[in-house]
Amino acid sequence: MIHVEHIQHSFKIGKKGKERPVSVLKDLSFKVRKGSIISIVGRSGSGKSTLLHIMAGFLKPESGRITINGTVTSDFTETQSAEFRLDQFGFIFQNFQLMPGLTTFENIELPLKLKGAPKAERTKQVKQLIQHVGLKEVQDHYPNELSGGQQQRVSIARALITNPPIIFADEPTGSLDSETEQEILALILSLNESLGITFVIITHDDEVASIADEIYQMHDGVLKAEGVHHAI
Amino acid sequence: MQFKDQLDFVSQHIKKNKLRVFMTILAATMGTAFLITLASVGFGIQDTLKSEILDNRLVTQVEVYSADLTKEKADKMKGMDHVKAVVLRQQVSAYQKTTLDKYTSTSELIVSNFGEEQKAGFTLEKGRLPQSEYEVVVGHDFAENLINEEEVEKFEAEQKDKDLSDTELDELELPHYEEELLEKKITYEMGSYETYESYKEPVKLTIVGVAKAPAKDFISDSKIYADASLISELEAIYDRHKPEASDETLFSMNLNIYADELQNVKEITTSLKEDGYSVYSISEELEQIDVFFLALKAGLIFVGTIAILISSIGIFNTMTMAVTERTREIGVMKALGAKPKLIQRLFLLESAWIGIIGTVIAVILSYAISILANYVLPLIVGAALGEEEFGELNVTFSIIPWQLVVIASAISISVAMISGWRPARKATQIDVIDALRQEL
Repeated sequence: MIHVEHIQHSFKIGKKGKERPVSVLKDLSFKVRKGSIISIVGRSGSGKSTLLHIMAGFLKPESGRITINGTVTSDFTETQSAEFRLDQFGFIFQNFQLMPGLTTFENIELPLKLKGAPKAERTKQVKQLIQHVGLKEVQDHYPNELSGGQQQRVSIARALITNPPIIFADEPTGSLDSETEQEILALILSLNESLGITFVIITHDDEVASIADEIYQMHDGVLKAEGVHHAI
Repeated sequence: MQFKDQLDFVSQHIKKNKLRVFMTILAATMGTAFLITLASVGFGIQDTLKSEILDNRLVTQVEVYSADLTKEKADKMKGMDHVKAVVLRQQVSAYQKTTLDKYTSTSELIVSNFGEEQKAGFTLEKGRLPQSEYEVVVGHDFAENLINEEEVEKFEAEQKDKDLSDTELDELELPHYEEELLEKKITYEMGSYETYESYKEPVKLTIVGVAKAPAKDFISDSKIYADASLISELEAIYDRHKPEASDETLFSMNLNIYADELQNVKEITTSLKEDGYSVYSISEELEQIDVFFLALKAGLIFVGTIAILISSIGIFNTMTMAVTERTREIGVMKALGAKPKLIQRLFLLESAWIGIIGTVIAVILSYAISILANYVLPLIVGAALGEEEFGELNVTFSIIPWQLVVIASAISISVAMISGWRPARKATQIDVIDALRQEL
């Protein structure tokens, strides 16, 4: 499903004119199977977020190739990348990244709006999903009226609404207490099992990483396979 | 994203920043209203001048001058393309005297062809057109020129006792014929200019119609209009009395041609000039006025556009602020799959919306100012000049034609969109990763 081949990337740091390159990803290669959950674990600055950004198309790698469902995405233009994301990816962010001016319902509806889906169809789909993820009570609430767990549920629902085959989760429980963390992880597992969605989770938390079928350890831009765990 | 959803998105953001958007719209409105009002003065003055020139004269009229005008030449002109009427007026160039009861006048007699006169727009106030050689139509002010010497002398003597100033004396209306003119018989006599004596060969004429008053108050028409069939009799009288050595003719000719439409006047004048005639047409004068006012209006629109450009700084500011404030939201949208073009369109829509609302309000406001100016300014100017009648004169200070609305709207909305373009472009260049890192 996802095929990462020899990805290299570096950032330039320092004052203008005196910049020096710092290598963050060093010749990474790995594969993600369809319907699996993989975790990429590592300390801050290890390069795991940069890897996610490159896989999601937010950033172009200096070299290497990414193939997703048979399509080479690493050569995409910005517009092609946006189109592909809308169609194939869902995102769960650490700080939820909900639109503050939109209600729960409208936040979940947003990707469908971007796709240009008709209103009647949107309403039907969002209502079904809201019911499914248990957000009916708060569907007219704004993000600042929701708890952290509820906000992350909205974020997950927003990622699911377009039925994407892949969901990227960047520290999905990073802003949550341990009880809520368990709820969210259980939800991710159930979605993976029931809908067959592939999850790529970036985390520094071993417990979160443990729900994955495959765990990769990221250290100074180098990726190492760690094996399979199932803690939950 | 469907267009309706894009509009919803824009209106949501506008509602969130009501005050800032209101102030920006206010600036756009003021700029556009200034442009329209300023240019409307150019249109207004042009219109006033043109109607001043056109009053009492037909725009399709071409005056033809030549030393040897003849009836045959005039008839030939009727065959020219786009000629609606050829009016050959022949004016008696001898001493003339008309008598009705005890009243006399020195009104001029004009001989013409009423068929052509009618085609050219000659209309009657009452009565009908002559049907025989001894029937005539008189000018609207003919009666005022019919006076009785004794009555006038008596009246003037009475006024002298009142010790009036010269101005007051001038304004006094002299006693004149007051009764109905229709069907009255008048005695028309010609005579010599040297002696002011009549030839003593009166011609009895019946008044069958009174011409419509000239469009302007200060023009008086006291002429007698007779049919061309009277020419031979008048010429016979003149021939019997004119000095033997004289080769002067009785009639002097005045030829006017009327085109069917304004745009054909030029073709007719060119053709006549080629045939060696001297011509004058009001349309030539109007053309010069139009050129002058075109330049003036362009200048006024240019000055007005500067005001709009100044207001565009406000729009630029508002949109730049909007992009900066919404960096994280733009980042989220891009992360979810919004294309750069969509982001750009959303911001351009917002600036266009500001431009459109500003323009609509400005157009309504400009019409209100225009109506008010046309109503109030004549009163103020009249009061300042001490002429009460100024307010009653038909002076238009401001006119807003639809073309001006279209030009001003196009300038205003385009400037709004251009000022929103750079911020919109900036929005598309926002880096998703940087935007997502922003604190809530």
